[in-house]
Amino acid sequence: MASRLEILNEGGFRSDGRRQYELRGIDIDLSQQGHADGSAIITHGLTQVLVSVFGPREAKMRSHTIHDRANINVEVAIAAFSTGDRRKRSRGDKRILEFAATIKSTFEPVVQTNLYPRSQIDIFVQVLQQDGGLLQACINATTLALINAGIPMVDFVCAVTGGVHSTFPMLDLTLLEENDVPNVTIAVMPKTQRISMVTMETRLHVERFEEVFRLATDAGLVVHQEMKRAISPIEEQ
Amino acid sequence: MASTSISKAEKSYIQAGLLADPPLRADGRALSDFRTVSLETGIAPLANGSARLSIGKNPHDGSGGTEVLAAVKVEVENIDYAGGSGVEGGRVACTVTCSPAAYPHLRSEALDDLQYDMTTVLHETLSHSSLHPQNLAILRGKKSWLLNLDLVILADSGNAYDAIFMAAKAALWDTKVPRTRSVEYKAKKTGPTASVAVGGGGSMDVDEDTVSGFDTRQITHATDFELPDYWDEGEVLDGRHRWPVCITLNLVPPAHLLDATTSEEAAIPLRLLIMFSFESKESPSIQGMRMLGSGELTTAQLADLIKVGEKYAQEINSSLNVKLKDEDLRRNQKARERFAQR
Repeated sequence: MASRLEILNEGGFRSDGRRQYELRGIDIDLSQQGHADGSAIITHGLTQVLVSVFGPREAKMRSHTIHDRANINVEVAIAAFSTGDRRKRSRGDKRILEFAATIKSTFEPVVQTNLYPRSQIDIFVQVLQQDGGLLQACINATTLALINAGIPMVDFVCAVTGGVHSTFPMLDLTLLEENDVPNVTIAVMPKTQRISMVTMETRLHVERFEEVFRLATDAGLVVHQEMKRAISPIEEQ
Repeated sequence: MASTSISKAEKSYIQAGLLADPPLRADGRALSDFRTVSLETGIAPLANGSARLSIGKNPHDGSGGTEVLAAVKVEVENIDYAGGSGVEGGRVACTVTCSPAAYPHLRSEALDDLQYDMTTVLHETLSHSSLHPQNLAILRGKKSWLLNLDLVILADSGNAYDAIFMAAKAALWDTKVPRTRSVEYKAKKTGPTASVAVGGGGSMDVDEDTVSGFDTRQITHATDFELPDYWDEGEVLDGRHRWPVCITLNLVPPAHLLDATTSEEAAIPLRLLIMFSFESKESPSIQGMRMLGSGELTTAQLADLIKVGEKYAQEINSSLNVKLKDEDLRRNQKARERFAQR
């Protein structure tokens, strides 16, 4: 129905009115959900993800325990009503399993699992609404939920998406932009500025990559500030 | 049935408490007291209708409780051709998903079984023809609406069945089906046939066989439909007063219990679910009934339970209706205020 939307117009505005390097509004809710040991709901613009963490606790299956560290189990569920078109995705969907594996491998080096041998840490991700930046939101919410659960980690993990429209780099892409523009998701650990995860499924020219990579790393530090602000009232109590 | 494991001693302690005089429950409630139910509609802006319902959530920190999210999305289905699965007059399909966060002690196979059971109970009850809304048709014989109702159980502290039926009713109440208008494609009349119809020399104006714009008769050979107003959310679902409420009666003969918590559910082996529909106060109907767990009932006991269940369901239904009207008002009010501030 709408006429062709411009990803970035001459005035420097994107299709949702943001500037080139502007992130969407971040809303963090750390109130307890159900009986979870730690939980967090993060909203990046219109993307909303709820993560519940259980653990460290006794593993449900003995075969999944590791003798010298905790086993991290990630399960992702995407609500059928989360997108504009309803799409029911079963739990065993390959895309979802890959998603969960990405989150697991992002947090495995960060969570201090050696402190809890033979136990299990369950991370349950529930996607409530999607408008681009899904992996970014899931990783940020998982970081907050793990902190809320009191599970020791080496550092925060802050994720941001970045993309390039012709030669202009952009940050925190919406669904419209993700479908149109090459994009990369990175997860950065702010203290050391080390990258914990990079994924890209589109094609991007090598010369463009470095610029957007650096920008996304800086944006990750901004997300870190937001997270610290959200958890600090808890520390003060 | 989802339950945490409970020791024999605790089981008999809970049962003894319920059979005592006066009956005692762990949180001090009476046998027919419900925990606080909170409801909010319109929580999923992308859906045609949505609601979030929680029972027994702690008001101070939002922990615990049974929490269910429900959302309705409508989509167009082809009825006859192109392998369409549509049915004349539209159809309703319900799905329940249990989040592993709600049942942290269950393995994924057990979780799948549980969500299948709940889906079946909900779907069989709600998709019945007696509850079918009349405004799900688009083009007779060609296209109709498929109404997808999806529920997610985010937390379970007992009484999940009552929660899912209430959440389903709330989401269906909130649902708006887009208004459609049938469209007929007509080829343009040009060439020799047109001049023959005019007849004669050409100076006389002859009425051609065209359909007047004021003709409001049904276009019987409509081939497609359009949305007359793209931004209009649509009309409410027909018969939204009919959607049933479920009442779960946990049975400890001779007593029965409403709104059981997780440990009470684990201690009470037998439950009776009755779904009541109150189209009007005078004519309640039973839309479904399920006996879950192991145990037996005499027919006299069953008749008594149905009678008393109807009273409970009546109360739940009227408070639910009041709250839903309240929610409509609140959201319209908010929209009006925002508009006024522009």
